[in-house]
Amino acid sequence: MNLLIAAEFRKLFTTRLWLWLLLGTMGLTALYASLLIGFSEDPDTMTAPLTTPAGQRTLFAVASGGANTLVAVLAAIGITSEFRHKTASATFLATPRRTSVVAAKLVTYAATGAAYAVTSLLVVAVIAVPWLTAKDIDINLLGGGLPGTYAGVMADVVIFALLGVGLGALLRNQVAAVVGLLVYRFVAEPILTGIPALGDWTIYLPGSASAALTQVSLTTQEYLQAWQGGLLLAGYALALAGAGALISMRRDII
Amino acid sequence: MPVYNDGVEVSHVSKRFGPVLAVDDLSFTVKPGAVTGFLGPNGAGKTTTLRMLLGLVRPDTGSATIAGHEYRELRRPASVVGAALEATGFHPARSGLNHLRVYCTVNGYPSRRAEELMDLVGLDDAKHRAAGGYSLGMRQRLALAAALLGEPGVLILDEPANGLDPEGIVWMRRFLREYADAGRTVLVSSHVLTEMQQLVDHVVILNRGRLVHQGSLTELSGGNSRVLVRTPDPERLLRALRDAVPAGVRAEPSGLDTLQVCDLSANQIGRVAFSAGVELHELTPGPGDLEQVFFDLTRGPVDGPVEQREPA
Repeated sequence: MNLLIAAEFRKLFTTRLWLWLLLGTMGLTALYASLLIGFSEDPDTMTAPLTTPAGQRTLFAVASGGANTLVAVLAAIGITSEFRHKTASATFLATPRRTSVVAAKLVTYAATGAAYAVTSLLVVAVIAVPWLTAKDIDINLLGGGLPGTYAGVMADVVIFALLGVGLGALLRNQVAAVVGLLVYRFVAEPILTGIPALGDWTIYLPGSASAALTQVSLTTQEYLQAWQGGLLLAGYALALAGAGALISMRRDII
Repeated sequence: MPVYNDGVEVSHVSKRFGPVLAVDDLSFTVKPGAVTGFLGPNGAGKTTTLRMLLGLVRPDTGSATIAGHEYRELRRPASVVGAALEATGFHPARSGLNHLRVYCTVNGYPSRRAEELMDLVGLDDAKHRAAGGYSLGMRQRLALAAALLGEPGVLILDEPANGLDPEGIVWMRRFLREYADAGRTVLVSSHVLTEMQQLVDHVVILNRGRLVHQGSLTELSGGNSRVLVRTPDPERLLRALRDAVPAGVRAEPSGLDTLQVCDLSANQIGRVAFSAGVELHELTPGPGDLEQVFFDLTRGPVDGPVEQREPA
């Protein structure tokens, strides 16, 4: 298994995609953090003031939004490119037990997700600390419940990596997996959560489960407890990966 | 010299894709110490058979084993069997060397092995280039390098000569010959017999998913005699031959003014032509042209039991 994971890391780092998506994550996180600080004194803002611990937790929670979707895309591409570029034959020749390949990818992309999450949190810190200091706002990176937010961000991004692997394993088609992910995240779920009649159960959607993990949001919506959201999101990821490994991966490689 | 008792055995294997019976109750064996050609026209089921042998495609019935084991049961597959399959790809942005390094890692070989292999297959100069920019011939060499990773006793190559330049074909031929002479098993598929003629010792010929011939190459060419006839009026000659031989004449036009006549001697044909007054420009008896035999074996329904059973 260690060899398999090492091989997956080698696959990941011998093309540049991880770097581009990491730069994308840093850019997106920087954008979110800047917007949040820049508009923090706007009378219409829905976030708590940045002088409060709640406001500062919300600020650091943007790190998950900057990283999670792109990590899922990276992971989905990581598995679907085996089929797109027809390296699946060579991969399964080396490792006839296909579930082991899926497991190795889950581990590899979970670790990659953790690294993305840390990077994304650092981007927030690098922007927030000087900016807030300039605004004469005190910020203690280890206080005000912030470590809990860091943990939530880490868990969220890691689980999104698992979701990406799972979705990719199930669909095998790269375009379908990536477009499906993006459309769901940026179009479908925002619309669903915006329908008041569905309010009761939209808290169980992956995006809401993800928001529950960091316990902050720019909307007024209610969320599950953090641990419930985390378990639910991990459940989605593992269900997809399990279905992918047991159904889709067993299909003939032609 | 090491002896490898690692033959390949395919036993009553069938595979259906939707309405198409791609492989139909196919059985054959491949022995060590020889190069075996796996031949058949495009769509005959060669690639499907190889993929079933390698555990990539699940057969509907039957079993395929390498060194006595199904592929999925092999504990260290790279050291038992190496395969280069058609349509097996490379990530276009990954260098050839890094491609091999991935499989070195997963099989527990040091990265140095990847360098050795790139050198062995003649890709040393191109090893840092992205595989997406490789020519077809270079991809074939890279695929072969990957197959050789664990110095396996069984080598399975799907259409390895495709896209190779003449020099590359000579190189590949020599390489496979040495590989087999060391006691290993080599199975090479192709849809072009002439490509294989100088390389293979044995042939397994497939048509429409079924075995049509298994044996040595000499057996294949020996059975069938044919005579090449060149005449300005092939149609009249054919008519005369049919009149003279009531049981029927098998003949193929092979060019505007040329006929390949089966199962009649040059003397018989010459006599018929003379009495019918047909002008002849050439009358060459020869051992069956291998390509022609192959063509006959693998073309549509002619006669014999093989073609009578259509996929249901």
